[in-house]
Amino acid sequence: MLRLTLAMARKDLSLTLSRGSGLVQALLLGLLLLFVFSLSQGVGERMTPQSAAAVFWLSSAFCQVLIFNQLYALEEANNSRLGLLLCPAPIQAVWLGKGCAGLILLLLAQIVFLPAGVIFLGQELSGPLPQGLAALALTDVGMCAMGSLLGALAQGQAARESLLSIVLFPLLTPLLLAGISVGAQALGAPSADGPGIWLGVAAAFDAVFLGAGLLLFGHIYAGDE
Amino acid sequence: MLQLVRVAKTYGVKVIFKDVSCAFAPGSVSLLVGGNGAGKSTLMRVMAGLSRPSAGEARLAEHVRVGYLGHATFLYPGLTALENLAFWRDACGLAFSRKDLMAALERVGLEAHAQERAGVFSRGMAQRLNLARILMQEPNLLLLDEPGTGLDASSLALLRREVMEARSREACVILISHDLAGDAPLADRLLALDGRRLAYDGPPAGYRPMGATAAPENATDAAPDSAQGSAPDNTADNGAAKAAAALAHGASGNPPDSAHEGRHECGQASRHECGQAKARSGEHSGTDGDTPQGGPQCCA
Repeated sequence: MLRLTLAMARKDLSLTLSRGSGLVQALLLGLLLLFVFSLSQGVGERMTPQSAAAVFWLSSAFCQVLIFNQLYALEEANNSRLGLLLCPAPIQAVWLGKGCAGLILLLLAQIVFLPAGVIFLGQELSGPLPQGLAALALTDVGMCAMGSLLGALAQGQAARESLLSIVLFPLLTPLLLAGISVGAQALGAPSADGPGIWLGVAAAFDAVFLGAGLLLFGHIYAGDE
Repeated sequence: MLQLVRVAKTYGVKVIFKDVSCAFAPGSVSLLVGGNGAGKSTLMRVMAGLSRPSAGEARLAEHVRVGYLGHATFLYPGLTALENLAFWRDACGLAFSRKDLMAALERVGLEAHAQERAGVFSRGMAQRLNLARILMQEPNLLLLDEPGTGLDASSLALLRREVMEARSREACVILISHDLAGDAPLADRLLALDGRRLAYDGPPAGYRPMGATAAPENATDAAPDSAQGSAPDNTADNGAAKAAAALAHGASGNPPDSAHEGRHECGQASRHECGQAKARSGEHSGTDGDTPQGGPQCCA
């Protein structure tokens, strides 16, 4: 299973990064969102850390939808999905491989979004950075676990972008709340509770989404056309 | 190795086929024929385990490695030929070195194109690469869904050679083809889907597509002239007769290449005829005394 996972992640990264178009599209959409929200501020005004964190995660969520659409579209060109279904390895390796590739691509995008958000939205990283990074990692893992599962569900559908967005965003709400709350603290917002409780929420939803992915992916991916 | 027990497939209220029962043994080549929309590809997907039967059961023996070559090539256009093979090697858990992958490419005549992207390959080259992908897995159940589509003569010869090679290493090969004249000589057995059922299951020589009239041993050569001489709208019938004659030639021991000469015409005619094929055992045996190889053995 590990071999197919690694092969799938390596192949997806190679195809996405060599072609570039998929990631560039996602990056541009995220940057556009950050830029447009920066225009909502008057001259000299500063967006609250809570709002800035929300805009950052909104950009990341839209970016993630495009990334997983792109990753699952790779199997549509010559119907490679059928070939993968015939492989002796557990089919969950495909979900895991695409999830890993999606996570790396999302992190690459966030490396661009983070400084862009700080500049466009006038923020400073003055809060607890380790907790902020932990929230980033936990939220990203959950988003990619769910994105990889629902990407498989949406593949081959004509309206896959909207299907993925409609199904994905409500499910991701608790994770996004955790990311926004801890992110706001990392940007200097005061908090009475501290980041611990939100990190716990993010970890719990990660566990649920990872379990759901392992259990459901085979049924979704192997479904009759 | 593979057994189908009263298998049926429906999409909504539309019945694709039903009551299909047959078994396939190792070291055999079976040809699956039928008209467009008869359900051949769907049946093959059921055999591969890619589609669940709506009724009945498809039983696959344990530890069977399935090689499936369908209409799509399963290749990634953005990867080179070598990278494609390397990916499928890893996906299938094979312990092959780069040298082994190059040998697999050499086997299908693509070693000079190892570093070219599969996206720039012609249909024939992509199908060769697809064949290399399957053969390196050494499957013991090889399912080929119209593998000859778009292939030139040398690629077809390669494909047929690999089919024979697979049989010699005790693999079970099931082949969908519209090229009866070209592919029947490879097969030990022919199955025809028609009227949503398995209409024929027997030796290729006994199969007669609907409309095939008298098929003397030398009909392959004689048919074009006679077709021109008769009513113009009888060409399909004459074509079917030629296909039947080619089957008789194949069954009489001629190698595939010898039947290849008349393949194009016969193939087209068979394709036409198979679309409405009915293995009418009573009709044929009652009217045609010179049915090749003892006449039809239909089991409708």
